[in-house]
Amino acid sequence: MENVKQNNSRNALLFIIGLGIIIGVIVPIVPQLVWAVSHRWAFPDLLPEAMSGRAWKYIANPNSKVLSATLNSLVIAICVTVISILVGVPAGKALGMYKFKAKGAIELIILSPSIIPPLAVTMGMQVIFIRMGLSDTIFGVILVHLIPTIPYMTVSMAGVFANYDPAYEEQARSLGAGTVKTFFLITLPTIFPGIVTGAMFAFLISWGQYILTIIIGGGRVITLPLLLFSFASSGDFTLTSALSIIFLLPSIIILVITSKYLSGQSSGMGGFGNI
Amino acid sequence: MKKLMVFAVLLLAFSGMLFAGGAQEESVLFEDRFMDMSWNDIVAEADGQDVFFYMWGGADHINNWVSGYLQDRLKEKYNVNLEMVPVDGAPVYVNKVLGEKQAGKNTNGAVDMMWINGENFKTMMQGQLLFGPYSDKLPNIKYCNPDILGYDFGFPINGYESPYGAAQCVMEYDTEYVKTPPASIGELFDWAKANPGKLTYAAPPDFMGSVFVRHVFYYVAGGYEKMMGPFDEAVYNKIAPKVWDLLNEVEPYLWRQGKTYPESSTKCKELLGNGEVHFNINYGPDGATNAIRNGIYPDSVKTFLFDSGTIGNINFVAIAYNSGNKAASMVMANEILDPEVQYHAASPEGMSWLTPIDLTTVPARVRADFEALPLDPSRVTTEELNTHKLPELQSDWLMRIEEDWQTFVLRQ
Amino acid sequence: MTNRARVSLLLAPSLIILCVLFFGGFLLGIMQSLNYMPMIGLDSPNFEAYKMMFTDEQFFQSLLLTLWISIVTTVLVIVLSIVSALALRNTFVGKRLVNFLYQFPITVPYVVITIGTLFLFSQSGSVARIAYNMGIISDQSMFPELVNDKFGLGIIFVYVWKQVPFIGVIVLSILQSMGNNFEELARSLGANKWQSFRHVLLPIIIPGILPASIITFAYTFGSYEVPFLLGRPYPAVLSILAYRLYDNVDLNARPEAMAMAVFMTAFLVVLVFLYKKLLNKASGRD
Repeated sequence: MENVKQNNSRNALLFIIGLGIIIGVIVPIVPQLVWAVSHRWAFPDLLPEAMSGRAWKYIANPNSKVLSATLNSLVIAICVTVISILVGVPAGKALGMYKFKAKGAIELIILSPSIIPPLAVTMGMQVIFIRMGLSDTIFGVILVHLIPTIPYMTVSMAGVFANYDPAYEEQARSLGAGTVKTFFLITLPTIFPGIVTGAMFAFLISWGQYILTIIIGGGRVITLPLLLFSFASSGDFTLTSALSIIFLLPSIIILVITSKYLSGQSSGMGGFGNI
Repeated sequence: MKKLMVFAVLLLAFSGMLFAGGAQEESVLFEDRFMDMSWNDIVAEADGQDVFFYMWGGADHINNWVSGYLQDRLKEKYNVNLEMVPVDGAPVYVNKVLGEKQAGKNTNGAVDMMWINGENFKTMMQGQLLFGPYSDKLPNIKYCNPDILGYDFGFPINGYESPYGAAQCVMEYDTEYVKTPPASIGELFDWAKANPGKLTYAAPPDFMGSVFVRHVFYYVAGGYEKMMGPFDEAVYNKIAPKVWDLLNEVEPYLWRQGKTYPESSTKCKELLGNGEVHFNINYGPDGATNAIRNGIYPDSVKTFLFDSGTIGNINFVAIAYNSGNKAASMVMANEILDPEVQYHAASPEGMSWLTPIDLTTVPARVRADFEALPLDPSRVTTEELNTHKLPELQSDWLMRIEEDWQTFVLRQ
Repeated sequence: MTNRARVSLLLAPSLIILCVLFFGGFLLGIMQSLNYMPMIGLDSPNFEAYKMMFTDEQFFQSLLLTLWISIVTTVLVIVLSIVSALALRNTFVGKRLVNFLYQFPITVPYVVITIGTLFLFSQSGSVARIAYNMGIISDQSMFPELVNDKFGLGIIFVYVWKQVPFIGVIVLSILQSMGNNFEELARSLGANKWQSFRHVLLPIIIPGILPASIITFAYTFGSYEVPFLLGRPYPAVLSILAYRLYDNVDLNARPEAMAMAVFMTAFLVVLVFLYKKLLNKASGRD
């Protein structure tokens, strides 16, 4: 009897928490979906007075630069992700698999951009970037986006490499597999969750960046967040919402792809527990 | 050992950065020779150049016009590539040019042309960040009344910027709640006392809130005349205390009993749109038209002017001192003043703008077109605007007023 | 190849990028905060900017607000992430959906949820509309200020929304890797639910999420985008104040902006240092 009661209250609690998660996650996104197609939606109406495709027409019009800005954002985020992988995987391996002198210090150096606000550093860099001809270029923007992404990539990789047993590699080699074959058959599958998690962070951090882009890109490199901020501060809720939805799309796609790597035993998130 | 290596790499990279200055162009710079060039030479040099036009990008109809109509026209007519750069405010690009000057990037800067207002113009002139004097060279400058080319917010222009559009304040009101609009600030405040909570203005230094307070200054002073010219402490001290008294007297009857003011004019628009207040000031007679079109205002919103008039000014474009495309920028500045372009800008298909050009100077056919433009129901006629136009104060007056408003009204 | 050479090679690319860009930029920031910029002719360093910063009342108000927001956010995130992770460990109907949604905020850009929060909690937002239609309020002004408010409530909401799943997923992976053994052992020794949570689970979870919590604290402390849209003009958080000074049309304000950036950095570095010290002490005692 007691047990049933306990079970009931346990289930009720679970139900509340589960429902809380569902509501808490979905509800804040909903008003934007409605705003994006509404014409007039004044207080205290619960539903818009009239619908309108104005925002979407504007977005589809090449003059608005929304599509080219989206493309810019995508190109930048993909380049940042690829470079982060190329740089972060080896660093994660070093930190995860080897013991060496000054490891603590190196760890701190690599992690510091996730502690020190990148804004604080970028302001100091603008002069140099102008001097080197890097400001106002996509390349310059990619470089500056790397600062906050490398730590996340490295930490994710350090996590999976910490659980990685090099004995498998040796076994494969002793069985006659070449370096390339060993990498693809043994190494890659084991560290893949870390790459996915790290790449996800790298992509999203770059994709969402406003302040670093405006300081270094100077308006010549127009990304989606730049347009979004212009409209958000001008009070055009319909256009702001429509841009916001476009901004959200990759997240949904990414989540569907990466969801299974975020949790579970083979998680790439483990690295964040061992810093 | 490794520490040393890292340090060496760091050092190397740094010394490389510090000495990698931008290479200067050897050819004679445009600014040193354009004075002796004919307009045709300038147009020829502009052929194939880009113009990066930095502007506030918060209004879709303006963005559309610039990167649609204007861009197409410049491309077809002059082979000039206009690239709109929409950002969230003028300080972004003022600072951009400033940063480049600080870093010594004196050629081929990021910014070619800018849409600026009086306050920023003064800053840029004082920092020697603008190219000029160029406006005398523009053939189409003849369509502008010389009166508007003298001063921008009281600061001498000297040919360093050229007109883009015109703006004039209007009061917006909701006809559903207000049948006859008040004729003066005094009547407006009387209305507020009879209808508590339904009037407000944005807290200066918000642009619109600040211009509203300037109208109160003109009202209290009995006209603008006494406050023209550079800041005058004695005149100011005679008027200002009365203004603060008046504003504090009406404060309890404002929105939220005047305990707080909206932080931005965007918020004020939202309040009028939601029926929370029934008036709003807007620095543009077309503001209500666009707000209705975008669903922010109900159709019942109309505009009016005070009998004694409202403040108006011209907005300008200017060229950055380190632009690498000055010829094309001049071509664009000139094209903006073409009566045909101005007509398109004034039309509902364009931006419904006020034109800065003097319609008595344009061909009769174009004038007829202008006069035939349909008048949106929310708008007052151009003639009414012209006969009710008051000049702007100089920017040092503005700064003092904005500062003192905080002390004597907000914190009282 | 020796181990040392291999490690150096593996670390070199990321260290070079970070040292040149990050520490280079930081160094330049320090130089500029001291009014020292030889390449533009400023060659006599001084502490004017720091003097100005530390005599500026606005700076202290901003610091207070920033600390308040970061601390409240971090505490809420830690509590909510542990509670939600413990709940998600159970099996129940619809768990897959809940699990999926739980991770969703990790991938949502800050700007999107910031705008969502604005639409939801402003005085003309969805919640206020529902309250009005239910007769709870009769005027917008009766709805409490939840965004653009004095206490940064809207800002805190966004950070909590984004960060709970981030920490929560880490808690889940810790729980998963330790299995049920410890708890069962504790229970078999007569501990009740609360005791086994307090004395068995918590001591394992907390050290595991501390590093990530410090990252989220630091992020909250230094980020710009969220308070830009949800904050008040005055007082503003430190990052906004610093960027406003940097973006000022008066170049003389820049050194103070840099000084503020240096201060924020120093503050966070000291924090991490203390954390490491504490960690060493704790592990030394064990």
